[in-house]
Amino acid sequence: MSSADTPSIVRMSGVWASYKKKTTTLQNIDMEIKVGDSHAIVGPSGAGKSTLLKLINGTMMPSRGTILVDNHRPDQRDSVFRSKMARIGYIPQSLGLVRNSTVLDNVMMGALSRLGGLQSLLKRYPDSEVDAGHKVLEQVGLSDKVDRNVYTLSGGERRRVAIARAFMQRPKILLADEMISELDTTTSRIMMNMVRDEQKRTELTVIMIHHDIELATEFANTISLIKGGQKVLELGNSKNTITNFSIGESVQSGNA
Amino acid sequence: MTPKNNIVIGIVGALIVVASWNVGADPAEFVDGIPNLGIVMEEVVEEISDVDERMIDRALWSMLETIQMAFVGTFVGYALAFPMSLLASRNLASKWVYVPIRIVLAGIRTFPSILWAILFVIMVGPGPFAGILAITMYTLGFVAKLQYESMETVDADPMDAASAIGMSKLQLIRHVVMPESASHLFSHLLYMFDYNVRQTSILGLVGAGGIGFYIITHIKFFQYGKAAFFMLVVLLTVLAVDLISVKLRDRYVVKSQRGVVDAAH
Ligand SMILES: Nc1ncnc2c1ncn2[C@@H]1O[C@H](COP(=O)(O)OP(=O)(O)OP(=O)(O)O)[C@@H](O)[C@H]1O
Ligand SMILES: [Mg+2]
Repeated sequence: MSSADTPSIVRMSGVWASYKKKTTTLQNIDMEIKVGDSHAIVGPSGAGKSTLLKLINGTMMPSRGTILVDNHRPDQRDSVFRSKMARIGYIPQSLGLVRNSTVLDNVMMGALSRLGGLQSLLKRYPDSEVDAGHKVLEQVGLSDKVDRNVYTLSGGERRRVAIARAFMQRPKILLADEMISELDTTTSRIMMNMVRDEQKRTELTVIMIHHDIELATEFANTISLIKGGQKVLELGNSKNTITNFSIGESVQSGNA
Repeated sequence: MTPKNNIVIGIVGALIVVASWNVGADPAEFVDGIPNLGIVMEEVVEEISDVDERMIDRALWSMLETIQMAFVGTFVGYALAFPMSLLASRNLASKWVYVPIRIVLAGIRTFPSILWAILFVIMVGPGPFAGILAITMYTLGFVAKLQYESMETVDADPMDAASAIGMSKLQLIRHVVMPESASHLFSHLLYMFDYNVRQTSILGLVGAGGIGFYIITHIKFFQYGKAAFFMLVVLLTVLAVDLISVKLRDRYVVKSQRGVVDAAH
């Protein structure tokens, strides 16, 4: 966990964002996330949580304000940032899996940036990468479905394929948009522990959108509550811990 | 049936009558012509009995030539169409690229294959090569449109995700666009080959090789029986190709499309 002098990896100040002119989806967001943090974003449906993640990985540009991710302005059209995107693990809410490809092929997509151009186009993956793919699939419990086409999988299995793909990116930052929805409690915990173990081994920073407040408080050291496009509350930092009670109550009132 | 529909049907009906009148299409002439067909058929029956080994040989070889021309033209045209269709897809290329490419493709499509054949006979001389070039051009124009239309229907969700994890444009094409549109692309290939075997059968009419040459020659010399024999060979071949492509489509296309439908639920 971070301390006061840990460098920050995501910094937002006065960020506004909108999909269409005249409507704003996010307003005046300030946020600072430090290297190795586990940050949870909670809030009612339509609040702008997923939009926040898109701003961080540069697939969407803010209309106002500044964002720095790993000391760079996130923008997918910028070649310097593009090379960083390969190491920003992303589990979109809609998963973004290729349905007509196998589980393994989907997972290997996370490794493509490490391969040579021709290698990746011919699907000539080095043995070490294929082994890594199998290993991460074993971790998410899909060893027996490696060669299945994604369209034949259940909802929860698909979600785990997306988790495995993100791990395959060897991420420095993990952006996870409700990655454990559709999973049972036991599997959810296995997935969350997998993320936590990775954080212990590396300097992985995790930014995770949560539906389940209990899990959010259990696994995160900082939490933002987003409501109506605004950050209405931030809880926890390196010094204090979060209590279930306070965050639960905040979200309750946020939903009302 | 709404009154509006009745008006539309009325207008279309009236247009058919007016257009037929204008071009001098008289149904009575058709009826008068039926006995002529009988005369020809008599000749056909009479002559078809003296189809000899040499003619069978010639028919089979020229049919084989036709199939080979269609095969080469289809594959080369298809392969050329593929990069063009990537550049013509609105979800893969910028406006400055896809608009001019689409104009070029539309230009190529304005020519029917027989006109391409005439052009290439003038360019490279008569023979199968001119026919292959004609089929290639026709396939290019036609299949590129089918291809870019399927590529545009590829779900944006995996494309966005691929791009968000830093995949390059080429990687995105290889790992997202191709698998997601593979069953359509394969179906286009079968369709085009099937269609091209028919088309190639008539290119001989303008000297561009294939079995059509014999059909037109025999017709010119009023040897309808012999012409009919060659046409019969075309008919049987087309039926066989049709059958095979239906089988292949069932085996590979229908199955994977069922997968896509499953995934939508
Ligand atoms: N592509 C888009 N085009 C237009 N509007 C969008 C788009 N994506 C999201 N929105 C709108 O922006 C607002 C915030 O959406 P966002 O997806 O960020 O919400 P969320 O907090 O993630 O909600 P949920 O918990 O339901 O996933 C919503 O009102 C939504 O309708
Ligand atoms: Mg969301």
